[in-house]
Parts: sequence; C-alpha cells; structure tokens
Amino acid sequence: MFAGLGVSSFLAWKSIRRGNKGTLALTIMIIALIFVNLVFLPSIISGVVENFNTQSIDFDFGNLVVEPREGTQYIGNASDLQQTIERIPGIVGTSSRVTAGVTYFYRGRNAASTLYGITPEDERTVTRVADYMTEGEFLSNGDTDAIVMGAILAGVEEEAGGLPSLQGVEVGDSVEVAYPNGETRTYRVKGIFETQSFGVDTAAFVTNREMSEVLGLRDQASVILVKTEVNGREAEYKKELLSYGIQEEIWTFQEKTGGVIDQAIQSFNIINAISTLVSLIIAVVVIFIVIFINTVNRRRQIGILKAIGIDQQIIINSYVLQVLFITTVGALAGIALAAGVTTYLTAYPLVFPGGPVYPVVEASAVFRSIASLFAVSVVAGYIPAWQIVREDILTAIRG
Amino acid sequence: MIVAENLTRVYTMGRVEVRALGGVSLEVEKGEFVGIMGASGSGKSTLLHILGLLDRPTSGRVVIDGTDVLALSDHQRTLFRLNRLGYVFQDYALIDELTAQENVYLTSLVRGADKEEYLKRSAEILRRVGLGDRMDHRQSELSGGEQQRVAIARALVNNPSILLADEPCANLDSQTSKSILDLFARLNEELDQTIVMVSHEEWHKEYFCRIATLQDGLISDMTECRKA
Repeated sequence: MFAGLGVSSFLAWKSIRRGNKGTLALTIMIIALIFVNLVFLPSIISGVVENFNTQSIDFDFGNLVVEPREGTQYIGNASDLQQTIERIPGIVGTSSRVTAGVTYFYRGRNAASTLYGITPEDERTVTRVADYMTEGEFLSNGDTDAIVMGAILAGVEEEAGGLPSLQGVEVGDSVEVAYPNGETRTYRVKGIFETQSFGVDTAAFVTNREMSEVLGLRDQASVILVKTEVNGREAEYKKELLSYGIQEEIWTFQEKTGGVIDQAIQSFNIINAISTLVSLIIAVVVIFIVIFINTVNRRRQIGILKAIGIDQQIIINSYVLQVLFITTVGALAGIALAAGVTTYLTAYPLVFPGGPVYPVVEASAVFRSIASLFAVSVVAGYIPAWQIVREDILTAIRG
Repeated sequence: MIVAENLTRVYTMGRVEVRALGGVSLEVEKGEFVGIMGASGSGKSTLLHILGLLDRPTSGRVVIDGTDVLALSDHQRTLFRLNRLGYVFQDYALIDELTAQENVYLTSLVRGADKEEYLKRSAEILRRVGLGDRMDHRQSELSGGEQQRVAIARALVNNPSILLADEPCANLDSQTSKSILDLFARLNEELDQTIVMVSHEEWHKEYFCRIATLQDGLISDMTECRKA
C-alpha cells in the first residue's frame, strides 16, 4: 500500500500544482464548510448544556441540595446543619430556604407560584439571583415586609406564555400573598430580577425570618443549597458531606435536573448524529465525484503511467494523497472558519429561552470531526482511483 | 532477444470474434532494428502491444531475454516494462502535468534512482534528442516532433534492452519523421539498441535491418534490409 510513496507524492503534488485551481479551491471550500457543520452543531449543543448547568447552579440549586429526611417536611436545626456543612473543605457557602406554594394577588389579578424564604446574606454566597436585579434592590436580612419578584411573575413582559404572571407589577407596588396555612400578608415589591431561568423568574423571595414567622417554623428549612469551590465535582462533594454523618437527603444539581437535561441532550444528540451523518455523506459524495471525474478525465494518463511501468498502487496512492491534501487544507480552512463563527457567536450569542447560549467548542469534537473527515475522504478518494486503475492498459489509453 | 512463437489474438466483440493475429512467430536478435509493416488492420499494433506486455495473446509464447513474459504476474509485468522495455506511442503519451524533463525521469524515480543521478541522466538524454533547451516545457508548449522526442527520451532513460515504437511518426510531417528515424538509426548503430518499430510508410524501410510484413494477422513476408 505504501510502496513508492515518494513517486505518489510527486505525482499528487504535480497534479495539485498544475491541475484546475478552481476545482481545487471549490473542493477545499466544501470540505471546510462540512468541517464547520461538523463542529458547529455540537458546539451549540455543548453551549446549551453548559448554559443549563450554569443556570441550574447559579439560580436554581447551587451545586448540592440538602433535603429533609424521608417522611419529614422540614430540616430541623437548619443553622447547625449549615455550620457543619460550611466547615467542610471546598464548601463556599450554604443557603437555607423555606419553600411554599402560594397565591399572589395584585390589582384584581392572581397567580399561583412558589415563594422562597431566604436569608439574603446566605443566599448571596450560593446563588447569583441578587446580581440579576433589573429593577429595585435585593432583600436585606432585616426586611419583613418586602418581596423581590421574578420578571415573569411580575409580568414585565406582556406575554407570559401560560406561565404565572401578575401582568405589570412594578417596584414599590403592593402584592398580597396567600400562604397555604390560610395566612395572608401584603408585601412591598422591593425589586424585580430576571435570570432567564423559568423556575426562578416565576417565583419570588421574602426573608426566611418573615416566612418562618408566618408558617410558624423555628430554625427549619425546606432545603439547604450548597455552593462548592469547583463546579463539576459535585459527586465527590456529596460523598464528602455524607462522610460527615449528614443524615439528610443530599442531591447533586445534576441529579435534580437529570430527567429534563438528559432528555434534552438525547434529543440534541439525535439531531447532531443526523446532521453529522448528512455532512459526512456530503463529504463522501463530493470527494468521490471530484476524484471520480478526475480519474475518468485522466483515464488515458493512468493507462500511460501503467504502460511505462508505474505500479497501480503508486497511482492509487497519488490520488489518495491528493485527497489527503484537499482534506488537510479543507480542515485547516474549516478550523479558521469555525473559529471565526465561534468568535462571532461569542460576541453576539444565540438567544435561547434559557438565556444567551455561547458555543462551546470541545477539543474532542474537533478531533472527532477531523478524524471522521479524513476517514471518509480517504475511502471516497481510494474507491474511484482503484476502479479506474484496475482497467486494462490499452482500454485506458484509448480513453 | 525476443522470441515470439505462434501468437494468436482473438477479440470478442459481442457475438463476433475478430482474429487480429493468426499465429505469428518472430525472433528479434539483440541490436536489430526490426520494422513491422503492413496495411491498416493487419495486426501490427496488436503484435507490438503483446511484445510490449501491454496485452496478452490468446495463445502462443513470448520470451524476452530468457524470460517467459506471459507467465509473469501483473505486478511482475509492470516491473518488466519498467526495467527492460521502452515504449514509444504513436501519439507521444506524455503526462501533461509534467515538464519534459519530469516526464523523462519519472520512471527513474520509480526505480529509486538518486536525484542527482536522474536529473543528470534525463538532461543528458534530452540534450541527445535535441531538446536541451526545452526541458522545463510542458507538453502543451512543445511541437509534435518535440513531444515525440521527449517520449523517445523517456523510453530510453533506463537503458531498456528493447525499444518498441508504435508508428512514432504517424502524426509528424516528413521532415520531423526523418529526424526521428535518424535518431532511431543512430541509437541502433551507436548504442546497439534493439528496436522494434511498427510503420506503414514505405520510405521507412530504408532504416530497418529486417522487415516483417503482416497481412491478415500473419507474417506474409520477412525481408532483410539495411544491415543485410
């Protein structure tokens, strides 16, 4: 197979240098575009997954979620448990939350959603909701009559798409909240936040002190959110927490979101597989056609080469080397093109319902694309060359 | 030396069988310049193709320099053509993407020759055929006569034991044809080069040592000429 590679390289190089430049450039461009297509969709999917994970950590769950033991509604001695967890190396902060399903009333309109009771200072160490205030301010530890509300619940946008919305709440307005135990309270809207996470933007926050008082709770929590130093090592931290004898249920954020994100990833992977397959088929067809036309046009030349004593494997290899050259330059051009597209989409990201999605180009995806492109190219280049080269010398020479 | 014994070649075209050679036997000694002549369709080119290992006979035997070439595998036949034979086609058969010199040294490259050596050798042969100043030109930049000279240089570059030429002057004017034939005659005389050449031009006869005339796929006449 590799016999006479020097001669094959010589013939391939001369053919590239002195062949049709337009066809060469067009083929390289097609390969480059196929490469971009192979890399682009996975990078967007990775971006969506990355965005989903970041949002889950930053707004919904932190890295770990501690829930009450089975059969109990609340975590008792929540502040002691918080202190225990915060002493574990690698834990950055904890936030104890009381959660209740409530009904909000505002100017004759109502909406049922979630209300969280939080300790604002603690919450800031775990989630980034406080950084996403679009109007007003976040809660302070001493607030008792204040509420901060998600933009969807407040109804900043006219269209809520079936999500709970009070349609037009502004900072300074009063909102009535009916708790599940029948108590009602009126709160002044201190701020409105917009995180792009549906679960959070359809909810509201009051202080833990206020909510505990209404619900008659004493140092109890529905959940404790835990923020770790490093993202991506949640399973290790979970083991660490368990090793400290914590009896409550501990979940990683991935476990909490598992069902939703896994389904989404599966669907994306199917779309990606179809797109990859189509791209590779296009690559095979293009290269096959280019080499086939090339070899058919050079049937006579191939016959002459065989007639003067050039082994057919040398001739086949010269076509394979031409394909390798085209694929190499095409892949390099594709890398440059993909880098340009990625840079553009980083500056002007695609906006998905969960927020802006930045393309995440993974090295493995690039290597996989290059490898698959080379594999299909070599096959697509080899077959037509092999077919023509096998032809009888005189038939080939006669064209 | 070439020994061809009772060569037949039958082509099948649909249901029709065409007998191009009907049992040709021929011996060519080293240093001979043999002409194969005959009318169109007499089997001259078929015979040369078989002697040049570009085609296989339906039956018969060909021994070149002691090797039964019909017993060789395709790969061995390729090597045999590369190392032992030089073939000049009627229509030059140059590789257009290569320059004159590259066309000439291509087979040396395949043989693994040293770069300095094949560059020197190809330049020397091109000078000998009168193309010293046209080495970097491509086929499209050369006249018909010049192209044929490049083809001859390519056929000679590896010092083949036999040079086979299939109507090398068919597409050339008479003056250029004469210069090509003079070149063949010089190679034959000075280098003792064995040459088998197909032609249908009567005036070429004066260059050949011996002439095998074919008619309907059989040798109808064998004439001793110039070196008789």
